[in-house]
Amino acid sequence: MNYVKGLLGQIGLGGERLEMVFLSSAEGKRWAEIATEMTDRIRELGPNPLRI
Amino acid sequence: MIVAEQKPLDELKQLVSGYDKVLVLGCGTCVTVCFAGGEKEVGILASSLRMATRLDGIQTEFLEATVQRQCEYEYNEAIAELLPQVDAVLSLACGIGVQTINEQFPEVQTLPGLNTTFLGQPTEQGVWEERCQACGDCVLGTTGGICPISRCAKSLLNGPCGGSQNGVCEVDRETPCAWQLIYDRMSALGKLDLLLELNTMKNWRPSRDGGQRKIVREDLRL
Repeated sequence: MNYVKGLLGQIGLGGERLEMVFLSSAEGKRWAEIATEMTDRIRELGPNPLRI
Repeated sequence: MIVAEQKPLDELKQLVSGYDKVLVLGCGTCVTVCFAGGEKEVGILASSLRMATRLDGIQTEFLEATVQRQCEYEYNEAIAELLPQVDAVLSLACGIGVQTINEQFPEVQTLPGLNTTFLGQPTEQGVWEERCQACGDCVLGTTGGICPISRCAKSLLNGPCGGSQNGVCEVDRETPCAWQLIYDRMSALGKLDLLLELNTMKNWRPSRDGGQRKIVREDLRL
């Protein structure tokens, strides 16, 4: 994960587009929070510059 | 094995700038085993370069191939048909592979994608350590099988020096003192008495000091 995040940073796409979290299936509330945080982060970063 | 590391992506982008079509060429031997320039690394690097150059507004095309051993002509014949299609080869072999491709296919510019670092061994997952400097006059027979040329910062023939503290080298506290290792090994072998003999001057002529080295085996020549 750290390797790929670093690689995305070097490429210029931004390593912050990628994240991995560990959750159990019983942590629905936490899953929703993380999904929201990630969605907000990606919205802020904007679309993948390679697809524009 | 020969151990190498991939150059930073920014440096590689600079190296391939100005070329329209580049072959990223891996090697299936040493650099595959040290995860620097095998088929997998070729795929990752070619994809990274495609994305990075496109973000810079450059339309460079990157082809991918891997041969079994770039340091021998016969293995490179497998990519001979690809060469006329490209402007440059970005070789992910060691420096020997880069120069072999350069000599074998002089019509194409061959560029190094790796920094060839040392002759060594993997000591644990993800860690490689130098073990040999190819000095041409091996002393392992008198040092308990531990090389003071590559593993002692001073390449001492009679050690340890005063910088050896608690078994580690003063140059780097993470590096064991080679002469402490030699002492411990000779002690385990019951041959400490051999360390009382002074190693005289080593013959450095077979090492780098005599310039480029060459071996000719008349019994093997055609």
